[in-house]
Amino acid sequence: MALKTSWMISLKALRRNKLQTALTMIGMTIGVATVLTMIALGSGAQAAIQDQVKAAGMNLIIVKAGNYQLQQERAPDDAIENGAVDPESQPLNRWSDGVYKAGERRMRAAFFHPEDDPFAVHDHPTSRQRLGDAEAGLGAAATLTIADADAIRKIGGVQYVSEGIHENAHVAYGGQRWFTRMHGDDVSMPKIKRAWVFTHGGYFSKRQETNSEQVVVLGSIVAEKLFGKDNPVGKTVTMWNQPFKVEGVISSSNWMVSPAAGDDEFDAVYIPVTTVQKLLNLSKLNDITITTESTGNVTRVSKDITDLLRGRHNIAFKTPDDFQVISQARKALTGGGMQADMQRSVMGNAAGLEKVTLEQLGKTLDRASATMTALLASIATVSLIVGGIGIMNIMLLSVTERTREIGIRRAVGARAQDVLLQFLLESITLSVAGGLLGIAIGFAVSLFVSRILQWSTQISPLSVALSFGVSAAVGIFFGYYPAKQASQVLPIASLKYE
Amino acid sequence: MTTTPVISIRNLTKTYQMGEVAVHALRSVSLDINAGEFVTVIGPSGSGKSTLMHILGCLDQPTSGQYLLNGKDVSHLSDDEVSSVRNSKIGFVFQGFNLLTRTSALENVELPLLYSGTPVSASERRSRAMAALESVGLGSRHEHHTNQLSGGQQQRVAIARALLNNPSILLADEPTGNLDSRTSVEVMDIFQSLKEERGITIVLITHEHDVAAYGSRIVAFKDGVIVSDELNEQRRAARNELADLPVPVAETA
Ligand SMILES: Nc1ncnc2c1ncn2[C@@H]1O[C@H](COP(=O)(O)OP(=O)(O)OP(=O)(O)O)[C@@H](O)[C@H]1O
Ligand SMILES: [Mg+2]
Repeated sequence: MALKTSWMISLKALRRNKLQTALTMIGMTIGVATVLTMIALGSGAQAAIQDQVKAAGMNLIIVKAGNYQLQQERAPDDAIENGAVDPESQPLNRWSDGVYKAGERRMRAAFFHPEDDPFAVHDHPTSRQRLGDAEAGLGAAATLTIADADAIRKIGGVQYVSEGIHENAHVAYGGQRWFTRMHGDDVSMPKIKRAWVFTHGGYFSKRQETNSEQVVVLGSIVAEKLFGKDNPVGKTVTMWNQPFKVEGVISSSNWMVSPAAGDDEFDAVYIPVTTVQKLLNLSKLNDITITTESTGNVTRVSKDITDLLRGRHNIAFKTPDDFQVISQARKALTGGGMQADMQRSVMGNAAGLEKVTLEQLGKTLDRASATMTALLASIATVSLIVGGIGIMNIMLLSVTERTREIGIRRAVGARAQDVLLQFLLESITLSVAGGLLGIAIGFAVSLFVSRILQWSTQISPLSVALSFGVSAAVGIFFGYYPAKQASQVLPIASLKYE
Repeated sequence: MTTTPVISIRNLTKTYQMGEVAVHALRSVSLDINAGEFVTVIGPSGSGKSTLMHILGCLDQPTSGQYLLNGKDVSHLSDDEVSSVRNSKIGFVFQGFNLLTRTSALENVELPLLYSGTPVSASERRSRAMAALESVGLGSRHEHHTNQLSGGQQQRVAIARALLNNPSILLADEPTGNLDSRTSVEVMDIFQSLKEERGITIVLITHEHDVAAYGSRIVAFKDGVIVSDELNEQRRAARNELADLPVPVAETA
């Protein structure tokens, strides 16, 4: 008998036995929906962890101009100047809101930025100390150039490179003025800062960077201070008495980081580095930010960068670097007010430590999320098996209930294998239809979970294919036994069931 | 007569083993039925009539003995071969109609064609089933589901189904057992006209003498053996009886 005919017979039988059909399908649907949702949650979590690892800068390397390792405990030279207050008119418990009002002197005492807090102990030099050019007031320390950055771009394993010049600046729009951080960057910055979202517009383009155009991207805090709720894209703000066209507004997509006044990322403006150099008449950089393609080769790339820059800067053997290569792990190791001597000894061993830490951390995270996915998958598998047993149960019941039907078919000439095929096709149809419905529901649930609960989910074509395949397999596996039973019903059986 | 009988059974026995007790449903039964005969089998309850019919219909196998259908031994065929014999050579009509529930009359009638050895197209299935339904006077009811039909109509659907593959024999086990007297006569009329007009061989089982009287030959059973086997001289004619019966009000088929 043709498979098509068998299938038609099965479909008709399913339509006749609606309750059986519905019950069996529900079991399968729930099973597959669970599998899909579980896998979506599992791989979503895995992707989220990897994302967080990268967002946390595990693959980040920063090359800073100058070498200040041993000066870290020195108070900045300009601390006093920055901290000037007027004690008579300024009760100390009233801080400025940061918006400049003519004649207001307490402005400088506000918490503009950690770097400008006169009482903070800086682990890096402030802007005055950094720029090698006259504008920044410091001589020979700044050594990095755009050409250095371009050379780093050619190192194997390097993913993105961005030049960096960091200054403080007044940004003005209409009557509003806001004192904030200014970053001169490359177009690749949004890719380095993975946790950015653009609430309006986008980043400046490569072409705008090449042409040193006066365009600016606002951090969400700056946008809020200057424009309130309005869309700033296309408007013109003023810095250094120069007009800048607003290209976009960035905010944080990372639930761990929410933009706050005074932070370095969102209370900041971003301008093409070339524009900054041109306007401020600078030729050097404060730093270069690099990401590597994988977390594992941060150490190797750091070393390559060191070698490259030493060569480019013609630094003789045994002479200290005129720059500093910092990776995230190294930063973590030496952060938190460690003593200078201790720091030095840690740094001496950092290369090895860093490698171990990063690679192990990466592996541990991978293993943890793999375990989680496996756990979720096994829960899902159990629910599929339960669904399958449900199918078997109902099919077995239905065989008993349909003995008369089977007998009638046998009496008019159905062979045992025709009956077997009919029941098998019924359970396969049920499980596949249930499976498809389950896939749809799984999609919907995953979407719901990611939208409403803000959990990350990821549905891969593989997991859909897997669910579909598994549901068909369950149909065959758990449908075979009842179908076999059905085919063994004797032709005379129907005559006894009247 | 030199033609081979349609049905030829020799020393057929059927014994059911019920634990310690052996139930002898058939004890060495021999019988020849020729083409075009309308044989009615009569006997008290438990005499082995249905057992005989199941074996004749290849629904069951004898414990011993020989069964030739159209001269071919079918008592020791494989299950698949027996299925194909049932499909092409035998038509069944049962007391309980044995139709598929929640299924239209037409689809019920089509059923044997789904299992025939050579594939039959859907349109041909439909047209043949329609023709069979029309031949039993139910053409207008083909869309009706079995539960929307009266007992007599259901039995006519079952007859249409039994006739679909032009079987050599039509086996009927108490076909009028669940019907009132008028519909019984109508059904018997169909059987009689099938014999007269299409020459179909019919074996009909009943335990009522007045039903047996419609046959051309009456075989009487008792305790698994044939006690009498004779041609029926005073054959009842259902067609004539129907003409005499008052026409029922509700019948609009
Ligand atoms: N599957 C079976 N197992 C055991 N004994 C059976 C079985 N089928 C029939 N019998 C026995 O065989 C004998 C004949 O049964 P059968 O059904 O052929 O009688 P029958 O003549 O058709 O009776 P009725 O007129 O009541 O239908 C009975 O004694 C019955 O109990
Ligand atoms: Mg009987």
